[in-house]
Amino acid sequence: MPKASTYKANSVIYFQGDVGDRIYILQSGTVSLNSNDIETGEEIHDQIKTGEFFGVKSALGKYPREENAVVLTDAAVVVFSVPEFEQLALSNTRIVMKMLKVFSNQLRRLHTKVSGLMQGGAQSSPEDGLFRIGEYYMRKKQYAQAVYAFNKYLTYYPSGRHQAEASRHAETAEQFAQKYGSGKGPAAPGFQGGSHGNGETDGGRNAGGAASGGGGQNLSDSAKAYYEAVSSFSREEFAKALEQFKQVAASGGDEEYVLKSTFEIGRCLFGLERYDAVIKHYTGLIQKFPKLPDLTEALFYLGRAYQESGDTARAASFFKKILSMEDVDEGLRRKVNKAVRALEGN
Amino acid sequence: MDMNLAAFERFAVHFQKGDLLFCEYEPGDAFYLIQKGRVQISKIMGDIEKTIDILQPGEIFGEMAILEEAPRSANAVALDDVKVLEFNRANFEVLMRGNPQIALKLLKLFTKRIYDQRRRFMILTLDDVHAKVADVFLMIDESQPSKDVGTGQRVFYTTPDDIGHWAGISPEKSREVLQHFVSQRRVEIYQDRIVVRNINDFARFVNSRRKR
Repeated sequence: MPKASTYKANSVIYFQGDVGDRIYILQSGTVSLNSNDIETGEEIHDQIKTGEFFGVKSALGKYPREENAVVLTDAAVVVFSVPEFEQLALSNTRIVMKMLKVFSNQLRRLHTKVSGLMQGGAQSSPEDGLFRIGEYYMRKKQYAQAVYAFNKYLTYYPSGRHQAEASRHAETAEQFAQKYGSGKGPAAPGFQGGSHGNGETDGGRNAGGAASGGGGQNLSDSAKAYYEAVSSFSREEFAKALEQFKQVAASGGDEEYVLKSTFEIGRCLFGLERYDAVIKHYTGLIQKFPKLPDLTEALFYLGRAYQESGDTARAASFFKKILSMEDVDEGLRRKVNKAVRALEGN
Repeated sequence: MDMNLAAFERFAVHFQKGDLLFCEYEPGDAFYLIQKGRVQISKIMGDIEKTIDILQPGEIFGEMAILEEAPRSANAVALDDVKVLEFNRANFEVLMRGNPQIALKLLKLFTKRIYDQRRRFMILTLDDVHAKVADVFLMIDESQPSKDVGTGQRVFYTTPDDIGHWAGISPEKSREVLQHFVSQRRVEIYQDRIVVRNINDFARFVNSRRKR
């Protein structure tokens, strides 16, 4: 049975972070739900009206309370357990309908805010996205699904930029579905090469609109090899990582990963305690790329390598140089300071 | 499920095994309650179709559509011959008033969605990109029951790209940040998983970056 309960002014019915399975209706008095705005940290005071429910979401959803429920003037409440509340809700749909409206409004507002903060460029436009789903199913020879996606595309974007292609593909997909059935037959024209054709045809298209979205999904071979190597490095298998990075660096593939790998070679050498090689590697690299993006880190490894090989004077001059530079990563600055202290201790 | 659904038979829709109920990016204007068969929710990522969830009779899906005609965020595929009740704006009130249990179910689903969205919002409002990535791990950790609370080490079967998606940053940026964590020995990246050495360290780090 729901219980009536009273609270004195300045008491707290529940605290933020509490796990509670009680739902309340305010009968009389004043209760304020206090929380902090997620975005600004500002305090929010939300006064409960008489007859209003509170504590519903966290109790139903079984998650911690999101606010402090503070009693401002002496208050009387009715307390429900979740099963009691459900009982009430089932016999009184009006309550649920009203709450559905409130919740869906909250959800809509949150949803808008979240979408607004998602990286704009990282997501394809719905139009491109829908078209690409069709292409995906074409490549997989899932013709019924391809027909569905292309037809939806043509319904929603009758004069869209992929309109001509979509209607051509929809027709082909339909023919192939009838002729060969799903997952069978030769690849449709334009979709030869099966699942691997993707890299070429799609890559070009992605480059225009959704470069960052597509980029992550179709990792190039050099990227894959690079992350393999990073993974070895993170396990401190430096010798293996060194070989892997060397291969990427020599592959002549994606320039970004060639450069990154070239840089990492030095760190592997350092891990292997081959300090002469570290010095040679980074000195050469800096000469070749004076504007190396990771210049400060390269200088740090040079300094550390000299330090380890006993040339403290050279080491100190490298560390000094880093500390004099602007735009040094906080973490690196700390490492350099630590290395300098170690030098001074010598 | 013991619900008075007979009167709503006219809102029932049938799909054959393998049919798409809807696909990602398609504008949505209806949501569904499964009455028979299973529905697979999946997302196409690059060249694979990744299963997000497999739903059973009695479950609701596509409910975000009732809020606004936002594009669908995933594909829904019939795994068996499927029968669903289709709810749209026109029949929503009627169906809900006639089926308080569905209404209650939807209410509970909304509380969960609100929580999830709030949690995502908390990640996205962090200024520091490293904190964002760390907070994604905290979010996932909160939702997976920990078997071993004694140690701070956690294993996540996820990829740098997925982490980037949750953090609202590009896959490239995500990899860069994770690489930074790797070099700090806070994280290890493997082909199929990412290991966070000490989740408590991440919690402290994120808290220090949050506005109060």
